[in-house]
Amino acid sequence: MQIGTLIAAFLTLCIFSFLYKDNPFYKFAEHLLVGISVGYILVIAFNTTVTPKLINPIFQEGKFFYIIPGILGFFMFARFLPKYVWLSRISIALIIGAGAGVAIPATMQAKILAQMQASMTNFATPDGIIIFVAVATTLAYFFFSKEHKGWFGKTAKVGTWFLMIFFGATFGYTIMSRISLLIGRMQFLLGDFLHVIK
Amino acid sequence: MPRQLIFVLIALSVAIPLVIKLGLPNDVTREVRQVYDEIDQLDSGSVVMISFDHEASSLPEVKPMAVAILRHCFFKNLKVISLALLAEGTAIGDGILREVAKEYDKEYGKDYLFLGFRPQYQAAILGMGEDIKRVFPQDYKNISLEQISMMKDIKNYQDISLIISVADGDMPAYWVDYAVSRYHKKVATAVTAVMATSFYPFLASGQIVGLLGGLKGAAEYEILIQQPGMGQRGMDAQSVSHLVIILLVLLGNAGYFLRRKFTE
Repeated sequence: MQIGTLIAAFLTLCIFSFLYKDNPFYKFAEHLLVGISVGYILVIAFNTTVTPKLINPIFQEGKFFYIIPGILGFFMFARFLPKYVWLSRISIALIIGAGAGVAIPATMQAKILAQMQASMTNFATPDGIIIFVAVATTLAYFFFSKEHKGWFGKTAKVGTWFLMIFFGATFGYTIMSRISLLIGRMQFLLGDFLHVIK
Repeated sequence: MPRQLIFVLIALSVAIPLVIKLGLPNDVTREVRQVYDEIDQLDSGSVVMISFDHEASSLPEVKPMAVAILRHCFFKNLKVISLALLAEGTAIGDGILREVAKEYDKEYGKDYLFLGFRPQYQAAILGMGEDIKRVFPQDYKNISLEQISMMKDIKNYQDISLIISVADGDMPAYWVDYAVSRYHKKVATAVTAVMATSFYPFLASGQIVGLLGGLKGAAEYEILIQQPGMGQRGMDAQSVSHLVIILLVLLGNAGYFLRRKFTE
């Protein structure tokens, strides 16, 4: 048996031991996971971003204007120095400004206009009618400028039924997702580690 | 009922069907078939971009989906460009790609390519719409894209037939925001089951062309490509454990109502 399989099986059992109660083995495995994840992300970010996008252009290709975004990047570390924390706000302002400028039109188009368009068509089909009723009644539930009484209250009540159906479906999928993770670990323990699965 | 007993029941409901195969039926849903049809109709040599937008913790769900899709792509002799928009997906994506490519004797740089990781997914997705080489001057192995033969005729999304985001979060929504809305590119998603309901509205509106949802989606895709794999192997366990959970919920509710009746 490979040493990697033994280590992985031991760490899996350490994590599963939490199901009985919190213990040092679980803590060890949890801290190891966090540490390795952060270390891995730092190395990947440095090797695939800082080196090819900043260090190489400046020192190998002579693109010295890359120093400007480099300096703005270093300003972010000023958050650790209370005296110079204002420097980081310049970089954050740039990120938020550019980010919002890029994101707002795209989000409007993809998540609002296209979704509204999809909800407004196909009234001739049962699906189209259900979608329209679901959208209208759910929006009525989230309209708080009118008291939820009378016909409006009943409409909002129908909206809550659709919300419950959505929550139920999402919860069902969540269970499926979590069980899938357990299946993955079980396949490893029973297959790669114990060789019980043929 | 002690919670440890529930854990044991769930563990047994997963373990026993994995050891003793039950062969429970599994139907193919329309959204999975849509992904299959999109890939199946592509001509040999077409380019598919697969983005590994997930973390290591969701590997049991995303790997079967990625493997099934890649097997279909390589079987159809499609060229695959891969990347990762989450750092943890980098090594995993590279490993899965190499593993499946080896099954089909595919050559790196000619049939498939792994670009590596880029942070700032908005900038990366938008940038590739203009020029992939500007976002990824080198691949994951630090080879310049100018030297890679399959990249000679590929500049941006116009040269890519389909984008598939294999994700455990809402990254496919950003592919919809930027690659679909701005560049009108076809995007399909393979997401963990917990995220599936978030993407059905995009499927209904036609903003994504298909959807695989977790292990079930992988199992369905394996049926379509007629290659049983990790997805189908896990579905018996999935079904039995769901039955146990439903029974536990019913028992819990019955217990609650009985207790309330006798204490009133």
